[in-house]
Amino acid sequence: MQKQITEANLRLLIDSLLLKGQRVVGPRQSGAMVLYEPLSSASDLVFNEQPRRSAKEAFFPICEDLLEYRKNGQQIDLEDIEPSRFPETVLIGVRPCDAAAMPVLDSVFSWDYKDQFYLERRSRTIIIGLACTSADDACFCTAVGLSPGDSKGSDLMFSHLVNGGFLVESHTDKGALFLESWKDRFTEPDGSKTLPLAQPEATPFDLKKIKGWLDDHFEDPAWDSIATRCVGCGACAFVCPACHCFDIIDEGTEKSGKRRKFWDACGFSKFTNHASGHNPRDLQPKRYRNRIMHKFKYYDDKFGQNLCTGCGRCIRVCPVGIDIAGILEEIEKK
Amino acid sequence: MCDSNKNIYLPYLATVEEVIDETPDVRTLRLVFQDEQVRDNFSFRAGQFAEYSAFGAGESTFCIASSPTRKGYIECCFRAVGRVTESLRQLEVGDTMGIRGPYGNSFPIEQFYGKNLIFITGGIALPPLRTLIWNCLDMRDKFGDITIVYGARTEADLVYKRELKEWEERSDVQLVKTVDPGGNSPEWDGKVGFVPTVLDELAPSSDNCIALLCGPPVMIKFTLPVLEKLGFSDEAIYTTLENRMKCGLGKCGRCNVGNVYVCKDGPVFTAKQVKAMPLEY
Repeated sequence: MQKQITEANLRLLIDSLLLKGQRVVGPRQSGAMVLYEPLSSASDLVFNEQPRRSAKEAFFPICEDLLEYRKNGQQIDLEDIEPSRFPETVLIGVRPCDAAAMPVLDSVFSWDYKDQFYLERRSRTIIIGLACTSADDACFCTAVGLSPGDSKGSDLMFSHLVNGGFLVESHTDKGALFLESWKDRFTEPDGSKTLPLAQPEATPFDLKKIKGWLDDHFEDPAWDSIATRCVGCGACAFVCPACHCFDIIDEGTEKSGKRRKFWDACGFSKFTNHASGHNPRDLQPKRYRNRIMHKFKYYDDKFGQNLCTGCGRCIRVCPVGIDIAGILEEIEKK
Repeated sequence: MCDSNKNIYLPYLATVEEVIDETPDVRTLRLVFQDEQVRDNFSFRAGQFAEYSAFGAGESTFCIASSPTRKGYIECCFRAVGRVTESLRQLEVGDTMGIRGPYGNSFPIEQFYGKNLIFITGGIALPPLRTLIWNCLDMRDKFGDITIVYGARTEADLVYKRELKEWEERSDVQLVKTVDPGGNSPEWDGKVGFVPTVLDELAPSSDNCIALLCGPPVMIKFTLPVLEKLGFSDEAIYTTLENRMKCGLGKCGRCNVGNVYVCKDGPVFTAKQVKAMPLEY
């Protein structure tokens, strides 16, 4: 289903949602950077800049409470967080590279044991994607099978119209229901043209070929040259839409506190350290190898998908200039 | 255990019923679930693990060291080496702690029926096999000969000393205990030597026999060739991997050895499976 919306009507729509008490999250200025954060008014929205961190934190926050404990003599009182009480959310202005990561992450959080913290947020959130009209040197979504207009993961997809406003395309029942509920704000498409999509300068990788090499090259001198530069800061994992490693830590005292889930990164030196002091990934190249292997082989082996949407953020933030697209290109040539 | 609407990170509460010091720094906790329904319904298989929590410190991963045949409680056994294990060690009888689990796969005990079993283990790696040892001893007539080769650096480092004595006294188990050279007192009545050497001397028949191997990496490394020499096939050797874990649920991305998730695909593997893995454990 296709509709159209003017910028003025979009603002009215968002402000009506907020007025109703609906939680609306979108790209907005947050300190020195643009992040996906709750909006307080439609004017907060920043549509012309890719947020510094991905949209995964709307479902898998940097830090979240899992339970609260309180000591009561020799007893412990536990309080469950009850993810079923998470608020309904409209997540708007989501870049295609961010939205596309969500169906990928669904696999790990829902296979076997269901992580309701993630899944409840997923089911209570509508994702409104926004097609990209500009790309920078780090963007490479087109190299991993996506595109700046890709609707993967989006319930509704917005595309900028040449004369202002947006073309709106519904891709799921959730999206169609939203259009129906707010039909006064949308109009039928009048045939206006959409702005040309961004064109990242990236040629498609042969991901099968890359995986083929990874299948047989756990041990290879290339890992040393690829990753000796890595300082293990974990920034790449923290800005990545698909990285999902986490830690579980108690914060508080022996008497009371919270158990919380935090983002973690396989690049950190202690990530796999055993209690005995033995560390299976004792050197940075082994840790970086895991990053590449997990993204392009292990996750594919298990769930048939890659953990990379070509958003380019890891390339932009790496303090030592590691370029994952360049590494994939190098592997592809082998 | 996969109740879909539950908070999968919420532990059951358990009371410390008994504290046993195995060595100066290794402790056993006997734990009883506080919720009657959980106590009645908690079931596990030998080889499975759990996440044990000391509230305020966090969670640690250990195997369930007691046997599934012993109902009403579970036991864990750990060395106090970090924040969580030190806090677990501070727990006194009557204190409350948390347990999530059971997680992971288990020893395929039904496939061992009618076979001879040899348990080979060292130091603090006895607990992951002790669950299976008691499981088998509690169904003794289902198995052939049962042999246990257990070593530690010194006499003081042997865990479950009272049970070693019990196994020594039983006529239906053969216990071969050993300590590393220099680790014995004048009164020591066991062998002196490393586990692989002692196993080599013992030379158990591999005929209709399953080897269950658990120990520090160096022990595993030198024991596998001995087993091979004795004619054990890689499918007849079982071991457990002990990679660092957090969630235990196949999500947090920490315990993988290549594409194998120790928490889901393991922790029990055959030597054949382990040999097919990259060296990442």
